[in-house]
Amino acid sequence: MRKFWDFLQLAGQSILHRRMRSWLTVIGVFIGITAVVGLMSIGYSFDKTIKEQVSGVFGVDTFIVMDESTFGPGAHNGGGATEYALDLDLLKSIEGVKVAAAVRERTGFVQGQPKADGTVLQGFLPVSGLSPELMTEFESFTGKLEVLPGGRLFEPGDIDVAVLDFEISQRLGVTVGDTILVAGDGDAELNLTIIGIMAPPEAAKEDSGSGFGMQFSGGSDGDTISVPYETMDLLWGPADDVLITLVRTEPNYNVDEVADAAEKALNDRGSEISAITYTDISETIGTMTGIISAFLAGIAGISLLVGAVGVMNTMFTSVLERTKEIGVMKAVGAKNSHIWTIFLIESGLMGLVGGIVGSAAGVGLSSLGILLINRLTTGFEVVSVINPLLIIETLFGSFLLGAVAGLWPAWRASKLPVVDALRYE
Amino acid sequence: MALLDMKGLTKNYQLGKVIVRALRGLDLQIDKGEIVAVMGPSGSGKSTLMHILGALDVPTEGKAFINGKDLQQLKEAELVVLRGQTVGFVFQTFSLIPTLSAQRNVELPMIFQGVGKKERAKKASALLAGVGLADRTHHKPNELSGGERQRVAIARALANDPEIILADEPTGNLDSESGEAVLSLLKGLAKKDGKTVILVTHDPEAAEIADRIIRLRDGCIDTRKPKGSLNREGESYA
Ligand SMILES: Nc1ncnc2c1ncn2[C@@H]1O[C@H](COP(=O)(O)OP(=O)(O)O)[C@@H](O)[C@H]1O
Ligand SMILES: [Mg+2]
Repeated sequence: MRKFWDFLQLAGQSILHRRMRSWLTVIGVFIGITAVVGLMSIGYSFDKTIKEQVSGVFGVDTFIVMDESTFGPGAHNGGGATEYALDLDLLKSIEGVKVAAAVRERTGFVQGQPKADGTVLQGFLPVSGLSPELMTEFESFTGKLEVLPGGRLFEPGDIDVAVLDFEISQRLGVTVGDTILVAGDGDAELNLTIIGIMAPPEAAKEDSGSGFGMQFSGGSDGDTISVPYETMDLLWGPADDVLITLVRTEPNYNVDEVADAAEKALNDRGSEISAITYTDISETIGTMTGIISAFLAGIAGISLLVGAVGVMNTMFTSVLERTKEIGVMKAVGAKNSHIWTIFLIESGLMGLVGGIVGSAAGVGLSSLGILLINRLTTGFEVVSVINPLLIIETLFGSFLLGAVAGLWPAWRASKLPVVDALRYE
Repeated sequence: MALLDMKGLTKNYQLGKVIVRALRGLDLQIDKGEIVAVMGPSGSGKSTLMHILGALDVPTEGKAFINGKDLQQLKEAELVVLRGQTVGFVFQTFSLIPTLSAQRNVELPMIFQGVGKKERAKKASALLAGVGLADRTHHKPNELSGGERQRVAIARALANDPEIILADEPTGNLDSESGEAVLSLLKGLAKKDGKTVILVTHDPEAAEIADRIIRLRDGCIDTRKPKGSLNREGESYA
């Protein structure tokens, strides 16, 4: 191995001697590397940013329960949550579960207060059942829910109460303290006291951090009647219309294990759900961003191929040019393997230099790209991340690329018969 | 046994359909410490002979013993050892590596033998000093005159202390003054250091430093008396 350093020096001197050509060859490699590193870094930064946002919402102790077709492999419905059956009490009883909150939704017949002229507004409206814990425990998911002054949100124990979206309260002409009638299945019907009106979207300060926040009610349609989760049981019976359930685990419990246990227990009870933890989501995100950046890098990789052919071409020229030199080296005692190694190192070095320059340029490119993306978009700040592993791999890879491109020329050089090489002019 | 012992040496080259017979059954023995001059017209096979003597090539037929070793019995790896350690080559066209300084050029054969850095550097400096180039060690070949380059080449040939120095027209590209310097170096190697020197030359004066002159003609040793000057007996091997 002592010889390696000597050969490295020989190869380096040869590269420096042919400075112009070496640089041109290196440029061929560096463009490809720049593209690959740049795209991969952007992909990596996106991945990191998204995962950080998700983990900010999830924390380390939370999982969500969704219909099994909504998430993961085999997911087939485009975005909107599918309703599923849920035994919330069973879920709460599972070991390690600290809090569980669910949302279910129905369309129900709703009747407002008779007006002064005796008319009564009525119609079919979306009715949401919300666990009170949703507001107290899972604000990172829901965003900040606010009611207009004078009202309040649900508290544990609330039954015949409702919170109305601002718009529908206007249309029904009701306010806090009034009652509305909601009819469920069969002849189940309840008079609910309005305890709060959701602040209209303009008034509610759009918390910029809640990019991932889920909108459960008071959404864009603005005509949802929200009632406590338990109240839904009275109107429509056991839940088979749950959209989403949020679960927080006790400290010292492994959230993935609790989620698995919950999933099994609920599915044994006839639900068809998946319990999704941060691990699941980040894996899915990782797979997606991985596929996208691999695809982009693959396209950029074609330019690497061109670079490699450039190295090969330069090495062939170099071998031809130095035929006599090769003969002399053999005449003074160089083994074939020595010649081979020297030329391989030489082509590898050109790859490596291309890799170094290309990595630096690629990192620059990705920072610039992300800066641009952040300028052009609002509400989503991508953090520029440099992946040291990617850089190390790139440097290794670029040396290898050069060396592989030099294999054939180096082999040709090493096989030159001494005498023929010496006589070459 | 002589240091170099050639019997019935034949070398053919295939040039397309034509077979070029460069050496045609040549017998030659050279002892340790001898200086032998090889003369003969261009194309007579001098370089071909030198290549075989230097283990750079093997004969098509006949036997070639170098230091008691039969070339044809040697594997490539053993030939490499012979080239690296037993013979030192000096070429007409200097053949230094243009990217390397004089110092590094002289170190090169030692690099291939795996000699350590310090030892190598010391040896190379000493050798360059020995050929009168102590102040040129960091010059690249293109910063040296022809005579200086050839002296670097001699220093390089001596790097691994070979017993045999083979010089193929070493003065062919030099003016007479530099040529003389090179010749006296070669002569000193044989006379002072006991090396065996074989020298190809066209120059009768150069041949004068030799103990013996061998004349080649069409791949054979020419046993006719030379027309001219050299008044030495038994100058060619019978
Ligand atoms: N590689 C080769 N292929 C074909 N012919 C060759 C080769 N090398 C030498 N020859 C021929 O062999 C003969 C002897 O060449 P050479 O030994 O170089 O002569 P010299 O050195 O005396 O001028 C010449 O005719 C030359 O053309
Ligand atoms: Mg010749």
